Amino acid sequence: MDQERRCTIPKDAIGPTLLELAKENDKIVVMSSDVSVSCNIEMFHEKCPDRFFEMGISEQSTMSASGGLAAEGFIPVYVALAIFSNGMTWPQTRQVCNANLNVKIIGTHAGVDDGQDGSGHHATEDVAISRALPRMTVLTPSDENEVRAAVKAMVEYEGPVYMRVAREPQPVIHEKECEFTIGKAEYLGDEGDDFAIVFEGTALKQALEGWEKLKSLGKRGKLISIRSVKPLDVSCIRDIAAKVKTIITVENHSVIGGLYSAVCECLAERKYKAVVKAVGFGDVFAMSGTSAEIKETYHVSGQRICEAALEEDR
Amino acid sequence: MKDIVNANFDELRVTANRNRIKILDMVHGGASGHIGGALSAVDVITYLGECVIDYGDKERDRFILSKGHAVTALYAELHELGFIEDDELVTFRRIHSRLQGHTNLLYLPQTDYTSGLLGQGLSYGVGMALGKRLKKSADTVYVMMGDGEMHEGQVWEALMEASYYRLDNLVLIVDRNGFCSHQPVENVISIEPLADRLEAFGWNVKEIDGHSMEQIHSCLTGLRSQYGKPKCIISHTVKGKGISFMENNGKWHRSIPTEEEYQRARKELIERGGVN
Repeated sequence: MDQERRCTIPKDAIGPTLLELAKENDKIVVMSSDVSVSCNIEMFHEKCPDRFFEMGISEQSTMSASGGLAAEGFIPVYVALAIFSNGMTWPQTRQVCNANLNVKIIGTHAGVDDGQDGSGHHATEDVAISRALPRMTVLTPSDENEVRAAVKAMVEYEGPVYMRVAREPQPVIHEKECEFTIGKAEYLGDEGDDFAIVFEGTALKQALEGWEKLKSLGKRGKLISIRSVKPLDVSCIRDIAAKVKTIITVENHSVIGGLYSAVCECLAERKYKAVVKAVGFGDVFAMSGTSAEIKETYHVSGQRICEAALEEDR
Repeated sequence: MKDIVNANFDELRVTANRNRIKILDMVHGGASGHIGGALSAVDVITYLGECVIDYGDKERDRFILSKGHAVTALYAELHELGFIEDDELVTFRRIHSRLQGHTNLLYLPQTDYTSGLLGQGLSYGVGMALGKRLKKSADTVYVMMGDGEMHEGQVWEALMEASYYRLDNLVLIVDRNGFCSHQPVENVISIEPLADRLEAFGWNVKEIDGHSMEQIHSCLTGLRSQYGKPKCIISHTVKGKGISFMENNGKWHRSIPTEEEYQRARKELIERGGVN
């Protein structure tokens, strides 16, 4: 992977993609709770005013109204910062899943990406509380092109979906028209069996840094973007667990209930070659700072990935 | 919609009483359920089923029972309309039954809404009303909430949204039976002055005796020709209505009648008429 790649803000792909999809599909409507500017979806409001519903600072009602629109056959896409569209709406989201309504939820500023607003705005539990819900699908695309593909996949899929998207600039590693299959992990590198880095998309930058560091130390491993935490690509995880010595999960999320937990859950019932090490946030509310500073401070970093992979070598 | 203009009020009363007996049978038979709030709501639900909503249509009016614990009232009316079998009523709240403890549209699509958590139904009504407007549909969305349910903050979010979007295809019915779970609403957290509050939120508000078929009919038909605002009917009712020892008694929010109480209650209802 080329560390000098162009970096862009993944969330900025959401608005244009929805607009493009809405031209072909008149069932798509966009729901907002007063953060359409922050989420960069105002263009949808301007170009498709009849199908854009500004509900005000009322996340709970926005989620349930999305359920009502879905019951009438529409495909509501609720876009807000993850701490709002996900963090403020668990009982409403649960009821949407209970009715299996076709509501699409996008959480931008995933993890600590709204870093400077402080711990109240950090969304480091969204994967955990979403994947615990029956019928929910949880997607974690990485760069802007993958976000575009994932938004298309989520709209085509029938049923409730939660997708977290980074605000922190991420290297663009996918082609513009890349494929995205729900439930299928993506191999970005497969050079040996020393280690495997398995990451969720909003930690792409850190995963790549760890990958490059380990390569520079002569280690040969695998780099896998999980893409979909639920359904999880269990066969992919079990396959690599049988081959490599160490799996390092990397997430811009708490290690409680997120990707690390999901990976461990699918390995725990049998013996595999690999141990699984977590790189993610511990049981903490992080302090204010830029997303990059917070990740570095709390050891969600390429350096930590490298250390975790090497520990097993001693 | 059915659009029945010349309703036969005596027949409606008989049907509602038959539904009361079914409510009693379901709660007694299932040894579980909420009888008081179902008995307060059942007259409006019977009227909507008999005279307004054509449950046989795919694209139709909607009825969201946000106070989903009163589901036996809706099951009774859906049975009346032929969507629930005779022998199904006794399966209420039993394992594998379509008659889940609260409304669940995956088990019984005619219920329109999956409930269980109070305070969310009006927001679904807002979403459905926005959707119907987008489809250029003439259908109406009816939402029934409990009065105690108005404590939920989300309700007030939805009240603001409905008036902002001028959803005159949305009708909220507040089943004002005066009780939260076991105590008078006014002793828990007062919601008065309710009509003033709703009007201040931009709603067209009417108040009726929610056990009078004539008033239910007159209010709902009158509202059809009013535009520009969402509509609210404060339906004054009695929790436990129709069974003397249950009326206005918080104990009967979710108590199960003993065999002796069941027989007494059934006798009272039969004496009111409606059983063949």
